[in-house]
Amino acid sequence: MRPLFRWSAFLLLVAVVAVGVVWWQNSGPGPVEPATVDFTSLDADQHAALVERGLAVARAGDCAACHQSQDGLEYAGGYALHLPMGTIYGTNITPSIEHGIGRWTADDLWQSMVWGVRADGANLYPAMPYASYHRVQRADVDALWLYLMSIRAVEKPNLDPDLPFPFNIRPAITFWNMAFLPQDRSLPPADGKSQAWTRGRYLVEVLGHCGECHTPRNLAFAKTDRHLQGEVLEGALAPDMTADNLARRGWTVADLAGFLKTGVSKQGVATLTMWPVIQHSTQYLPEADLAAIATYLMDGAPAIAPIVAATDLPQAGARLYLGLCAGCHGVDGEGKPHASPPLDKNTTAMLPDPGNLVRIIAEGIPARNFPGEARMQAMPAYGNRMSADEMAAVVNYMRQRWGGMPGGVTESDVVRLLDDRL
Amino acid sequence: MTEIRMIVNGKSVGPIDVPEDLMMLEFLNEYLNLTGTRYGCGQGVCRACSVLVDMPDGARTMAACVTGAIWFDGRTVRTVEGHAARNAQGQIAELSPIQQAFLYHFSFQCSYCAPGFVNEATALLERLARAPISRADVEATVLEALNGNICRCTGYVRYLGATRDLILATPGLTLTEDGA
Repeated sequence: MRPLFRWSAFLLLVAVVAVGVVWWQNSGPGPVEPATVDFTSLDADQHAALVERGLAVARAGDCAACHQSQDGLEYAGGYALHLPMGTIYGTNITPSIEHGIGRWTADDLWQSMVWGVRADGANLYPAMPYASYHRVQRADVDALWLYLMSIRAVEKPNLDPDLPFPFNIRPAITFWNMAFLPQDRSLPPADGKSQAWTRGRYLVEVLGHCGECHTPRNLAFAKTDRHLQGEVLEGALAPDMTADNLARRGWTVADLAGFLKTGVSKQGVATLTMWPVIQHSTQYLPEADLAAIATYLMDGAPAIAPIVAATDLPQAGARLYLGLCAGCHGVDGEGKPHASPPLDKNTTAMLPDPGNLVRIIAEGIPARNFPGEARMQAMPAYGNRMSADEMAAVVNYMRQRWGGMPGGVTESDVVRLLDDRL
Repeated sequence: MTEIRMIVNGKSVGPIDVPEDLMMLEFLNEYLNLTGTRYGCGQGVCRACSVLVDMPDGARTMAACVTGAIWFDGRTVRTVEGHAARNAQGQIAELSPIQQAFLYHFSFQCSYCAPGFVNEATALLERLARAPISRADVEATVLEALNGNICRCTGYVRYLGATRDLILATPGLTLTEDGA
């Protein structure tokens, strides 16, 4: 027994040392690219222009979505992200010396965005999408830094993450980075692609970090190679955005760009977790950038035959639709302009996963002022006015009539979805 | 056309043929001559058209202007005409407590929104009878329950005050300090 114990102890020690060495060699940021501007020699016009560019970067990167306060003050921090492993709060990124990033240099901001390492050397949690920002252009970070340093400091303390063991061990993120953060920062060559496509790719993959919600994740909560194929996060399905699937759901480049600008399209209205993206980010992007995003996402989209309604629509669902939905959305799903979105081309019924449809029926949608002219009244919540069985019936009806999807959503599916997602 | 039947204010209605897309408000106003339920925004927002639907676990309000009559098929409905107690001749003998409270408080002026407020407040009173709340929570609960009903003339304070006072004065709707 004794020699065996000694050997085990020795092997354990070797393993601990080996892990420690690997950690030591890989912790901390990777190489820092030199700044593109000499901040000390900017004249007033150059300074103003760079701040303006920084604001555009902040919006394209949607910093405010997670770094707002609980009550919506931009960049002040406190917004809760409810993740499977616990709750993380967006931090204060105003130039507050005590609570924000007032002491950070442009290099510090760069290393946090590219390598996920704070100015004090601690790892950021990958809830900060540095795996996407990894390929950000240094010039964009420089502009962003100047912008963030130009906004008003908010003296608001950060909230500690609420994570159980072992997720609360920050240094362990070094191993996550070794597995999921490539050393190479270059995007693959874009041979033969247009300038719009290249710009769109940068906005989608890097600054816009669309894949953080739209790409399926693995058990380590890292993005998988099933690129933009849809994922459920914070109770909402971020749908499959591959070109094939966008085309199947009736999207065109123009409609997609318009949706990102206004949150409204004939394919549907931005709701759930996409609404804040429109609200804080995409509505402010220049038209050319929105067209670039749509061009990139729709690249290679096939021509698709329009969706045809199933011939044997369920009668119970039809009656419920007429009774509860048709008053606003129209007997044939045509909607009412500026009041209720049409359902006949609405993509929510076209998603294989019925979760978003069930959630919206159950919890309703608050009244919203969309960018531009559209305002939508509140949609009532039907969660306490319909049984799960009735919800399943109306969901099946919409899927089969307009979604090109099979019925078969059951009462227990609805119960499970409401339990998991609400 | 589709055939529907329902119970409205305790009376059996139908079977009767109606267009499939007929809204409940029109059914009440035009088919049953129950004109107390009002057409306001026509979009289910202002709640002047709220009616009560009795469900196994209590009444819910529904916007009659955007809810199809077909949905009420087989259900039990109460409108503003159904709250007061009536004598043998069918005349109003005694208003319901919330109707009386609204009168005492001069809650409405033109009265267009009043039927919706009566139904919404009635649903709240019935809910509290099943699940009483702390007296300290009454004010906030009333505000939450009536917040969606829109009134254009007298303002909301008198509706809220009437409902709050009635709840506080009615035994069984609130919990005492020790939670009994």
